[in-house]
Amino acid sequence: VIAVGEDPSASTVPPTTSAGSRTNTLTFDEEAKLVYGVILSLRNMIKKLSRRDEQFTSYRTSTYRLHLYETLSGYKFVMLSDPSTDGLRFVLRQIYSGPFVDYVARNPLVSMDSREQGIDNEYFRASVDRMIRGLSVFA
Amino acid sequence: MVVFGLWVINKAGGLVYQRNFTDGLAQLTSNEYLVLAGTLHGIHAITSRLSPTGPSSGAQVIEGETFKLTILLTVTGTKFVLSTPLAETAAESILQRVYEIYSDTVMKNPFHTPEMPIRSEGFDSRIVGLLGSGQS
Repeated sequence: VIAVGEDPSASTVPPTTSAGSRTNTLTFDEEAKLVYGVILSLRNMIKKLSRRDEQFTSYRTSTYRLHLYETLSGYKFVMLSDPSTDGLRFVLRQIYSGPFVDYVARNPLVSMDSREQGIDNEYFRASVDRMIRGLSVFA
Repeated sequence: MVVFGLWVINKAGGLVYQRNFTDGLAQLTSNEYLVLAGTLHGIHAITSRLSPTGPSSGAQVIEGETFKLTILLTVTGTKFVLSTPLAETAAESILQRVYEIYSDTVMKNPFHTPEMPIRSEGFDSRIVGLLGSGQS
């Protein structure tokens, strides 16, 4: 799970991740930038193609599925899952309205829109972890 | 089966065929379609690198709120992209048939230059037969 915050001038905040290491060749920063780039381009493409003002919600490849939930305040919540899962946007929404609001937005010590510092605090991680492990789709 | 549109993208990322069928998506100029095809080509390449579990294909389905794009990547690098409503389940088999029509009418045509825009009546008429008529 990656949370990417964005202020109106379109800068990104380095995100947090859930526990678990991956054996790919990209460093975390590079990957975060790629993810952000892909999401931004896909959003623009879908907006352009659609007649009404639509949101991009997810995409699937042969090995993973990426879900996006974007809040009105410009924060983008991204989740990668197994390709056979259905829409997990509601989970991302729950993460936003639950742990994120509780431990990040309401936390006076976290600077939400900084460019160098990510959002990384123990309570947030633990409660997101608990929430995800409690899902029915989590194997 | 309801289909909004079909794009065929060559292996360099250039749009070689574009046609709309049922009305449902915005009407764009041909230049805008060219730009979108190039963007999609790049996105497809990047998505294959973002996989958390090792090598992956590029994006196969991209979903919005009311429509989705289904992408078939052939072994030669050509991409067939179909835009349909979310509920359409036959998108992948439709794309397979489009690929068959493409190989029959375009690839076997001795006057067609590979990777160039498709200008073939045979292709057009068979696609219209498969997907219904519309306009380019």
